Amino acid sequence: MEMKPKSKSINRWSFKVLLASLMLFICGFSSQINALTLKRGEALRALPVQSDGRTKPFDSFAREMLELIYGKQKYEGREAYEIIFTWMLAPQVWTQKELFEVRNHEVLKNLNLEPSKRYFKGDELFGNSKFNDLRTELNIKRESKEKLNPYFQALQRLENQFFIFSEIASGKMIRLVPPKEGTQWMAVADLQGDLQAQFMEVTKAFISSIGAISEGKAVSVEQAEKLDEQVLKFKELAKANNPELYADQTRIDTEIHYNLFHPFRWAYILYILGAFVILFAWITDKSKPMSLAWVLLGLGFLLHVYGFLLRSYLMGRPPVSNMYETVVWVSWGSLVFAAILEKVYKFKFILLAGSIIAAFGMIIADSAPIVLDPSLQPLEPVLRSNYWLTVHVMTITISYSAFFLAFALGDMGLIYYLKGEKKHHEKIKAIVTAIYRAKQIGVVFLAPGIILGGIWADYSWGRFWGWDPKETWALIALLGYLAILHGRLVGWIKDFGMVVSGVLTFSLVIMAWYGVNFVLGAGLHSYGFGAGGVEYVSGFVFLHILLVVYVTVYRRQTLGK
Amino acid sequence: MFKIDYKKTLKFLASIKMAVIVIASIAILTAIGTFVEAKYDATAAKKLVYDSIYMNIIMVVFAINLTAVMVDRWPWKIRHIPFICAHIGILILMLGQFLTSKIGVDGTLRVEIGGQSRLVQLPQTDLILYSSFDGNNYTKIIEREVDFFRNPPTVEKPMVLLPDQADIKIKNHYRYALASKEIQASDNKKLGAGVRIQITNGQANFIEWIVQRNPYTKANVDLGPLKVHLGLLPESGKGLNEIYLQAMDNGKIKYMLFDKSSLDPKFTGELEEGKSMATGWMGLELRILRFFPQAQENWKIEKRDFPTPLTSEALEVEYKGKSQWILLNDTVKFFTDNAVYFLTYANRRMDLGFNVQLKNFIVDKYQGTMRAMAYKSQVQIEGYGEHEISMNEPLKYQGLTIYQASFQDGPMGNPVASIFSINKDPGRWLKYLGSLIMTLGIILLFYFKKMGIGQKKGS
Repeated sequence: MEMKPKSKSINRWSFKVLLASLMLFICGFSSQINALTLKRGEALRALPVQSDGRTKPFDSFAREMLELIYGKQKYEGREAYEIIFTWMLAPQVWTQKELFEVRNHEVLKNLNLEPSKRYFKGDELFGNSKFNDLRTELNIKRESKEKLNPYFQALQRLENQFFIFSEIASGKMIRLVPPKEGTQWMAVADLQGDLQAQFMEVTKAFISSIGAISEGKAVSVEQAEKLDEQVLKFKELAKANNPELYADQTRIDTEIHYNLFHPFRWAYILYILGAFVILFAWITDKSKPMSLAWVLLGLGFLLHVYGFLLRSYLMGRPPVSNMYETVVWVSWGSLVFAAILEKVYKFKFILLAGSIIAAFGMIIADSAPIVLDPSLQPLEPVLRSNYWLTVHVMTITISYSAFFLAFALGDMGLIYYLKGEKKHHEKIKAIVTAIYRAKQIGVVFLAPGIILGGIWADYSWGRFWGWDPKETWALIALLGYLAILHGRLVGWIKDFGMVVSGVLTFSLVIMAWYGVNFVLGAGLHSYGFGAGGVEYVSGFVFLHILLVVYVTVYRRQTLGK
Repeated sequence: MFKIDYKKTLKFLASIKMAVIVIASIAILTAIGTFVEAKYDATAAKKLVYDSIYMNIIMVVFAINLTAVMVDRWPWKIRHIPFICAHIGILILMLGQFLTSKIGVDGTLRVEIGGQSRLVQLPQTDLILYSSFDGNNYTKIIEREVDFFRNPPTVEKPMVLLPDQADIKIKNHYRYALASKEIQASDNKKLGAGVRIQITNGQANFIEWIVQRNPYTKANVDLGPLKVHLGLLPESGKGLNEIYLQAMDNGKIKYMLFDKSSLDPKFTGELEEGKSMATGWMGLELRILRFFPQAQENWKIEKRDFPTPLTSEALEVEYKGKSQWILLNDTVKFFTDNAVYFLTYANRRMDLGFNVQLKNFIVDKYQGTMRAMAYKSQVQIEGYGEHEISMNEPLKYQGLTIYQASFQDGPMGNPVASIFSINKDPGRWLKYLGSLIMTLGIILLFYFKKMGIGQKKGS
């Protein structure tokens, strides 16, 4: 083919780009490693706060609050902890800024605000005469105890934003000092005596350093050290109030490290790089770069595991209890299964599919915090201290990893069918084998996983099988894959059918995994419920159905000729 | 003559075609079930889909298919082991589930803090009719299991009780009704009194009706720190903060107020509609907003399309041309010239055979929040001593398992009762056995493939 010389030059070029980005990555990574300890002037980040049922660093608290109000963890490039602190110092300035994220068009229409905008001033929203009407409307809905539809969920968020902002601004929500009696920490607004005086010192030091930044000057070493020193003094005073209740410093530091280093991000960057290397190796049909790919993916994998371990340590439980955590877990599983199958078959594209899914999953997890809440939250009573829960969730979701892999491989298969069935006959055969194996692995985990779910339900509620929607959809997915494997066994489903079913049957998994919580929103698994992203997920599913239809029609026509 | 070809029939029943059809049907039906649950609730999904005749038929066909496919492979060889395990496992699992649904117990037990109970509420519903000639002693004359959720009575096809004597027509059923009580004055001397009280101190404000079933019974409302009774005045107090009200023939109400310090009344006196009295606790004042010497309770019913935690099932009952509504676990009375009928529509109750006493109920909260971290009930079981039941830590006794299910909040926002789920599962061991065999089968399937045992294409 005449394509070859051209593609070779492209490959050489892309290899250089790859090497360069690798260098960049190493630089970035090592600079991050150096920043594992807090920079000067950032002691405020590590100040323990009590919020949402646990003690956490001020940094985490600030990120969560800014996320809720603004939808992001930074505001105009400034760190959340600085922003949140200034809400308390100058709330009236902040109500004039476009800080409040409102995405629901109906809510905006009812407030007579521009629906195409996304961020609004506090004054526009809460000073609006309609705001109180909407709150009343929400309250009536709540009284009726009916399920909240997206409009009311959006209203609820708006009310929450209002509440949180005013509570932070008035100092009532930032709880910094453990009480002598009881468990609820004292908020900034309730501080008295030495503690109040020392907090004033912290504030002064903060103002002087933030003042320098706003004038465009760098914060001087003295200013930064002064701030750290005052924060430290405050911390000692707070601890002295009730040393037993005060936060464990190691845990706080670990959480700061988790926030700042964010191992999951590095993991997906490595996965992307790894995917490019494999793509390069695959197109050029060379096996040498594969070892580089293994190294990159291996590093990513280690960081992925490291992130898991950090989360487990911080929460004292395996991280598989909400949507975000399962996405991270499934991404991890896909890579593991891909690596195992790759070791057996050495097809290259299996690992490619695995690394693409892993990267895709991790990017989704990282970029949709409203839908997939990454914050560390305490568990509902029913989920606490339960061995079977962990085992059943991990087993079921790891089967999703295998099905996800079959799905990605199915996509690749479809592309080959488009590129020419006869020409790529061998590659298609290989892909089909990999899809078959991935589906089998999935079934081997899903069936026992569902049974383990039954054991958990039996253990916790005395009901082995109660038709809970989450379990039921897992069963439906299992039945779907079982039907396909049986169909394959008797030869109804041929190669093309395996590729197509790899893609289509995954819709059942999406329904079980995401749809039950976000579309159905019913049942015992309601602790994992959320809202949002439905349009993207259904778009994703719909596009794949279209692709399948297109390839099927295309194939019919070409075969008919 | 048409003759059944057994071999051909077996071949079809054992075919993968059949299996795929059955698997797909189960998948579709259960998927519908999840949507029904999302739209309505778990009960609706269960009654309309999962326990429906369609589901049962598919399950029977599935069982036949699983059995036939194994019979078809007879005589079995070593390579069949994983296949046999996987399929027999599913059969055993289904048998276990069948046993559970037929002879298992799955009910709820509600025990008030400090109180005790032995009656478990089951999901089945019964219609029970009692009659009485003196208003005190009732005899059960009808007890009938009904499933109005699935087979509701209608105006055209009502359910008639005692057509010759009482002719009570049940003519309408709402699955989801929002009910509010309507209390009216009546001149029927067999009815008890009704008062609408208000208890307020400027901050707290509590308004409630108290209605006696008949002139001889007591009715009360419990506000936690204070109890208000309507009925005959007692001889002496119980050492609690209580107010007793008694309706008089002259249209007035006699009252007696007790407090913790003494068994003798602290105050006594008379009240009438619109008048109030100071209670002496926390500045609370009790006012009589409304007083009917004979009060008739009626439900005002609004039909809803979807359930909420506030809705309930409701039945419309007609007696002597007059209609009234009755909710689930509620009763209604009908008067003839010389008798009283008492109709209840209620969940079946099962006697545990022992009392469960709730000594204490503890909710642990996450630090500094109202979020529950764990709940625990300290119970005293007759003949079994004191135990703690908490989420995920059930108690087993006499073949029953008692689980902590949830709790009930009182009007003041603090828990007043613990709710347990009571289970007896005779199919449990079969389900575990079936699961084990099936899982083994699936794993062996892989293992055999890898070892090259049982490589067989098609059937």
